[in-house]
Amino acid sequence: MLARYGIGDMEQRLNRRDWLALTAIAATSLRAAGTAKTTILFDDRATVLATTKTDTAGLWIRKSDLPQVNGFEVKPQGACRAEVCIPLPKTVRKGDWINLTGFAKRAGQSWVSEGNTWSFTEVPILRASYLRSRVAPEFAVPDRKGRIVKLSDSQGKKRLIVTWASW
Amino acid sequence: MKDLNFEIIAAAQDTGGEAAAGSWYDAAKATYTTLIDKQHAVSSAFQLTNVPMGVWIDEKGLVVRPPETAYTKNQTLKVGAKSIATEGEAYTAALRDWVEKGSASIYALSDDEYEKRVKPRPDNEMQAEASFKLGIHFHETAQPELAAKHFQRAQQLHPDNWNYHRQDWSFTPTEAGKKWLEKFNKQQDPYYPKLELQPK
Repeated sequence: MLARYGIGDMEQRLNRRDWLALTAIAATSLRAAGTAKTTILFDDRATVLATTKTDTAGLWIRKSDLPQVNGFEVKPQGACRAEVCIPLPKTVRKGDWINLTGFAKRAGQSWVSEGNTWSFTEVPILRASYLRSRVAPEFAVPDRKGRIVKLSDSQGKKRLIVTWASW
Repeated sequence: MKDLNFEIIAAAQDTGGEAAAGSWYDAAKATYTTLIDKQHAVSSAFQLTNVPMGVWIDEKGLVVRPPETAYTKNQTLKVGAKSIATEGEAYTAALRDWVEKGSASIYALSDDEYEKRVKPRPDNEMQAEASFKLGIHFHETAQPELAAKHFQRAQQLHPDNWNYHRQDWSFTPTEAGKKWLEKFNKQQDPYYPKLELQPK
């Protein structure tokens, strides 16, 4: 470029200044991409996080945000929820961060993302009590007045859960 | 059956919410628990693929009968050369029997039978779930193009799930009937699988 246009000393300096300015803009926008507001769907709940990162390894979130995302908590032995602990190798935990897609892979979850929205499925190991021990999975769904009804609210009764739809 | 310590929980699998489902509850003069399940949470929890489907749960929270078609009336509906049959009378008689007799009912399934009927989600169904939930999210946040994209992905990944198809088609009501008929005509299996109230 420089040779082709025969740019003199002054122009070269200008160019350099432009380059520095452009680099600064690029760095700022990269940082912005690294801290984009992200919506995470799990168990019919949407959690919006202000601070996340993405790279070739997928989606990273702050360890302290994990409980509100999916009920798991980072402990020395792994990510744990009640009695279930999923070991976390070093590649998925870095400082204050946990690689949520790396965790999902180990937990057997599927996921799909679109822009800054990520949708994660159930954690299969948490389904074992339904599949193997006949324990009905808990749900929490609003009634017509918006009051949340949980399956466990009617514990002690026989129940028929029946679905239908208007469509 | 109210005095028998029994509760019916109905869950409308309707992303359209009260606006879509409410008038149906009114018309039915529903006296049972009426849920508005915009997220299809109940279908996700029990891996349901059509409506209406029922699950029986005992006093301790254990599943007595896993999901199956849950009608209250016998009906046969002719659709072209094929037909749809519902077995509501046998189903409600079985339900009554269990509500009265509990675990002594012949319709309370054994562990072996339960294991034959309840399976983990295969990978394609997991992927489909992830997309369907994303579709609902985009629908609720008024991003219809992204919603359509992920609803379609869910249908491609899990074509046997009628809920995925019909919820999506409901947003284009003029075409919904035609799309339903097209898929129905292609389907080999009965629209509602034959009930197996007692093990073979």
